[in-house]
Amino acid sequence: MEKLKDAFDFRDFSRAEQVGFTIFSIFLLLFPWLGAGSFVKVVMIQFLLFSLFGMGWNTIGGYGGQVDLGKAQCVGIGAYTVALTMVWWKIPFWVSMPMGILLAVGYSFMIGYPLFRLKGHYFAIATIATSLVLQDIFANWKLVGAAKGIELPIHDHPDFLYMQFKSDTYYYYFIMVLFYVAIFYMNWFRRSKLGYQLRMIKDDEDAAESLGIDIRWCKIKAYSISAFVAVGGGFMAVYNLYIDPVSVMDLDLSIKIALMAMLGGAGSLWGPIIGAAFLVPLDRFLGSWLGGQKGLIGLDFMIYAMLIMVVSAYQPRGIWGIIEQFRRKGS
Amino acid sequence: MAFLEISNIVKDFGGLVANNNVSFQIEQGEIIGLIGPNGAGKTTLFNCIVGYYKPDSGKVIFKEKDITGLRPFDTNRAGIGRTFQVMKVTTGMSVIENVMVGAFCRTDDRHTAQSEASEVLNFLGLESVKEYHLNELPIAMQRKVGLARALATKPELLMLDEVASGLNRTETDELVLLLRRLNAEKGVTLILIEHIMEMVMSVSHRVIVLDYGEKIEEGLPGEIVKNEDVIKAYLGEKYAKSH
Repeated sequence: MEKLKDAFDFRDFSRAEQVGFTIFSIFLLLFPWLGAGSFVKVVMIQFLLFSLFGMGWNTIGGYGGQVDLGKAQCVGIGAYTVALTMVWWKIPFWVSMPMGILLAVGYSFMIGYPLFRLKGHYFAIATIATSLVLQDIFANWKLVGAAKGIELPIHDHPDFLYMQFKSDTYYYYFIMVLFYVAIFYMNWFRRSKLGYQLRMIKDDEDAAESLGIDIRWCKIKAYSISAFVAVGGGFMAVYNLYIDPVSVMDLDLSIKIALMAMLGGAGSLWGPIIGAAFLVPLDRFLGSWLGGQKGLIGLDFMIYAMLIMVVSAYQPRGIWGIIEQFRRKGS
Repeated sequence: MAFLEISNIVKDFGGLVANNNVSFQIEQGEIIGLIGPNGAGKTTLFNCIVGYYKPDSGKVIFKEKDITGLRPFDTNRAGIGRTFQVMKVTTGMSVIENVMVGAFCRTDDRHTAQSEASEVLNFLGLESVKEYHLNELPIAMQRKVGLARALATKPELLMLDEVASGLNRTETDELVLLLRRLNAEKGVTLILIEHIMEMVMSVSHRVIVLDYGEKIEEGLPGEIVKNEDVIKAYLGEKYAKSH
């Protein structure tokens, strides 16, 4: 119980952050009643979903400094577990979701073991490789729908067992709850023993090892924990009622997750949320407007590529890093 | 049985023999100075003991346990702490957080780690800078932080790799007092690699001299400064003959 208290304890944040977070929370709570159009609602759902993904990425990529470009693997495992168990055995969401998370954690643990023999860029490349392999397997595996994907059977609205609703408002509140669970979890994690040890590993691996930290084991643990993003995959399955290897396992998704967290500020609690707040609307706008224009297909990727370069060159700690820099100078 | 027993350590970097048959013993509570000219193999020896390198042959026995070839985190958990010659100047964590990571070696609880870290910072006189980041501190302070986080792991044997380099006279004197207190009050056994002779000679109980990877002398500080081989190693053969 003592340990749980840390999750809800935001006292070590500045006044401005506490006030900002409170206002933001009130806004999130009231948002569906503010009369926004359906497009904006969809964007908000995406924003919360990607914040959740970003927070998962942040455990290994932000606090641990291990650039993971394969997070979509876990999203995919979560989505496929929920979809397949529902199609095959009619297993309700509330059972299949934890199963999906467990599978993703187990999978991450298994591949984390060999992956963390590698360091730096080699690790990043290896995560891309494993995710391409996994996606290829799913795209060719007849039993799980291969490249065609899977459609989920539709239930009567509202169905709280299988989490199927006609109105986006239900989905909105559902993902909001998951989003807050993730925030409280991350708030606990950043001050846990593993959180401190990971930050030391990120700063200076040799020193970390001299302080009794088993570096590889710590990384594997954090990598496995970050697999909780599978819950977002499960959400995608019941929200879209259709999944295929491209929508839930693509490299594109992995890169977006990493980029949002990095842009917002890797290694801080607010970073992934800020990053998602910038990139999700931008992504939607570019996707729906520019993507449809002839000759401009692919422009969104060019913009992402440029953002990655700018962030890593000028402020590796992202937007939140810039804010903190100003604050330290000011105090 | 000695507290730390090094026997016949050999470390060969493909032709360059950095440590050749080095053996010595250390008793609990001693302060040992490890000296030698640049490239004598002092840091390599440290790395062989702590586990950053695996010695090609030889044994390291610590408290009657064979720790040869164990990884650094294991030797640390066994009770050996170390500092680094070059401290990486990092921006990610504050001073107290750095020291807390050390304290987490022996506890899982954040509050315990925090109070232990504060205690160490007080002991080293660093409490006023605990919220700063390493890059915002002068070198002398950075080194003290390195010392603090190693101390927070509660080592019985602490190996210091040139803690005094880059420090001015007053800072060095302070450090000597600090090391003596550490040894006397906390009972920590110390091995220091040092270039500043005055400091080594005044703080060490015993001195071990390495040259070209081999142990050439071992003895009391007073004997070592008069030893011909040591003078030769440091100042060249000509100087030794003419005096």
